[in-house]
Amino acid sequence: MRARVLTGTLVALLIVPLLASAASAQNALVVSIWGGNWKDTVEKVVAKPFTAKTGIPVEFEVGGTIDRLAKARVAKGSPLVDLNFTTTHVARLYISDGLYEKLDMAKIPNSKEIAREAFRSEYHLGSWAYVYTVVYRPDLVKEEIAKWADLWNPALKGKIAMPDFDPSHIITIAALMEGGNEVNWQKGEGKLKQLKSSIAAFYSTDAQSQDLMKTGQAPVQVMLSVNAYHLQEQGIRVKVVQPRDYPGIVGIDTMAVMAGTKKADAALQFINLALSKEIQSELVKALRAGPVNTGASVPQSLAGQPGIFVTPAQWKERGYIMNDEVRAKNLPAWREWFTANIVKK
Amino acid sequence: MSLRLVVLALAAFLTVPTVVVIAVSFNPTAILSFPPAGFSLRWYVNVLTYPQFQRAALNTVLVTAWAVALALPIGTLAALALERARLRGRNLWAAALLSPLVVPGVAAGLGFLILASSLGLLRSRSVLIAAHVALVLPFVVRSVWVSVKNLDPALERAAASLGATPWRVFRRVTLPLLRPGLFAGALFAVVVSVNEFVVSLFISTRVTEILPVAMFTYVVNYTDPTIAALSTLFILATFLAVWVADRYLGLGRVFLQH
Amino acid sequence: MKFLLTPAVVVLAVFAAALGALFRWSLLEFIPGSLRPGGLTLANFRSVLAPQYLDTVWETVLLSAATTLLTLVLSYPVAYALARTPSRRARSALLVLTLAPFFTGAIVRTYAWVLVLGNAVVTWPLPMLFTERGVLVGLVHFSMPSMILVLAAALSHIDPAYERAAASLGARPARVFWRVTLPLSMPGIVSGGLIVFAWTLSAFATPELLGGGKVKMIANVVKDLGLDSFNWPGAAAFAMVALALTLALLAGLGRLTAGRAA
Repeated sequence: MRARVLTGTLVALLIVPLLASAASAQNALVVSIWGGNWKDTVEKVVAKPFTAKTGIPVEFEVGGTIDRLAKARVAKGSPLVDLNFTTTHVARLYISDGLYEKLDMAKIPNSKEIAREAFRSEYHLGSWAYVYTVVYRPDLVKEEIAKWADLWNPALKGKIAMPDFDPSHIITIAALMEGGNEVNWQKGEGKLKQLKSSIAAFYSTDAQSQDLMKTGQAPVQVMLSVNAYHLQEQGIRVKVVQPRDYPGIVGIDTMAVMAGTKKADAALQFINLALSKEIQSELVKALRAGPVNTGASVPQSLAGQPGIFVTPAQWKERGYIMNDEVRAKNLPAWREWFTANIVKK
Repeated sequence: MSLRLVVLALAAFLTVPTVVVIAVSFNPTAILSFPPAGFSLRWYVNVLTYPQFQRAALNTVLVTAWAVALALPIGTLAALALERARLRGRNLWAAALLSPLVVPGVAAGLGFLILASSLGLLRSRSVLIAAHVALVLPFVVRSVWVSVKNLDPALERAAASLGATPWRVFRRVTLPLLRPGLFAGALFAVVVSVNEFVVSLFISTRVTEILPVAMFTYVVNYTDPTIAALSTLFILATFLAVWVADRYLGLGRVFLQH
Repeated sequence: MKFLLTPAVVVLAVFAAALGALFRWSLLEFIPGSLRPGGLTLANFRSVLAPQYLDTVWETVLLSAATTLLTLVLSYPVAYALARTPSRRARSALLVLTLAPFFTGAIVRTYAWVLVLGNAVVTWPLPMLFTERGVLVGLVHFSMPSMILVLAAALSHIDPAYERAAASLGARPARVFWRVTLPLSMPGIVSGGLIVFAWTLSAFATPELLGGGKVKMIANVVKDLGLDSFNWPGAAAFAMVALALTLALLAGLGRLTAGRAA
């Protein structure tokens, strides 16, 4: 009798989960995106209404910018994801590797409402914008930080953190400070090396950056405005700087459809929904980012804060936009130089 | 005696992280503070409703059940052979059967990944289960072998002499006598498989990943105490398992000689 | 009877095939952006000799040695208490305390340290999270249960008569410990040390979560190369290094134990 109960339980454990998991996975739209509040927001603001409208469930594959590119390269031809969120310049790398398919604009009617600047290419469209700027905790840092140059203040020694996966922002700022720009960025090399001793840590993920800020181990960071506002929402008082010397570096996140996906139509519907006026207004409020839809509303309380552009026209006025192709082309060289000269002890 | 103080301090060191995790899991806000600023079950709710955890839990049950179901008979037969067969180089065989324990997790994980990719099995669960069987087998063999060593072959001979077929002898005499070893082997196998992380990290996909891998992905992407809640549930479950094993098996006898 | 080993042999063969694939790919050329390797080459092993990677190997060995020593020192008192305490309840309590973390898995235990070291409990005078000392603490904590069990088993095998004899001859407790107990427990110390050192050489979760990308051990580099850059040949070479180190350690120190036993 007991043997029968045991065998019965064993069979149940062996077979039931197999059936349960087989059922759900098949027809979902798989979206590749950053984890944490990015995935949560898109899930709540876009995926939920999408599923309600179309009946198609949405699943998310999370990871860092470069990690997901590496995975996509390896899965080329039979992609594991259908829709890809990434930054506008890294999208160029996807395109040059043949990983995206051309967007059928006829299936994205809402694209008529988005600003010209948001049409990044035939393959990818902007979804929202933000800035990379200086963010710090005023309770732990008594010095006033009002411009990029303040990062070089010797009082900030050992207090700074910045991303190790994409150094384009600090490299460009250093170049600008030395009379150059992202094209002749070598001009800023000396200035960057001066900063080395002030850096306490590098973060490879948004979560790490937030941890470093929360624990106070690196209370001054080169950080994405959206992540800074997310920290504020969690109760951590941080100040997001609108630098007076050079503007924050604009970042534009984009959406694209993976080449070879079998759910292209669903992906295009998703993109269309994400570009609609209502969803864009929701994204602005939830992420604290700038919209691409010219008709989206930006609440008075948020407009004007760093990274929360009211219209895409402000991207150029109030931020520094780098040329996509230059940024994409230089990224590997920047990463290599940065790792060898700044990250390495 | 000062030894008592030292031991107490060290015991505290061993348990402090557990205490902190449990306390933080009830924190009402996402900022990890200790002592907790209040009491809230929201992270437990998050754990139980997070789809990826639900799927990972199902996968864990599936993979572990299959791994143990396969490893137990395979290991038992191997233990019987080790003890009773005429083997040249018995020690070599024993070492070979225990060898997966010695291989670094990343080496085994990457090796299985490469093997799976060459066989076109990258997204299937079978490789994951096969790896778990290999990792769990040494524990089963070791545990059952101890029981086999203590088995008096006279009992089996007696049953055979009374007319029982070899299969009947095995089922009615041998297996019941091996129960302690089988139970210990199964317990170890379950614990090892449920907690197996490194190898599974290499060969899981989003669809097939088991709970520890899902937890790792979460920790890397989020900074809220959800994992503290999940960890607390894990800790509770294993404390229960260990307590039951101590009551039922007398773990002290398994590990110490008195 | 021997045929009963067949199913187990099949399992081992699969495992060996995985290791074989690892070995083979460590000798193949890496083609960036693709999963298909090129031809035979020693380039992967040569890149292991590059300064930043060699640094990692060296740091791993140092960290493992430090972990083993510290674990030994901290585990001994607990093991002694476990083996010698007359109270059954105290022994049960210590046993449960020692065994339970053993069973909860790497992620849970490491995550607990992320919380404690991250100023959630105490504000540390020196930064602990994402530093080498933080990783050391995590590794020691992870290794203690194994070391305690091995030492306790070894200590429980020592006939207390030896210690009583030494005491009766006039030796004070400290002297009894240094001259009788400790030497007699040496086999346990060596095998415990071996287990901890070998395990720590291939530690992954602890440095991954507590190291924050700054403290990397061999296993982390294997994962970076293998799962992030998809450089399987490079990762395989590194994994082979980890395997070789572990085997060398076990072979070398195994011979040491054999010498002592003889």
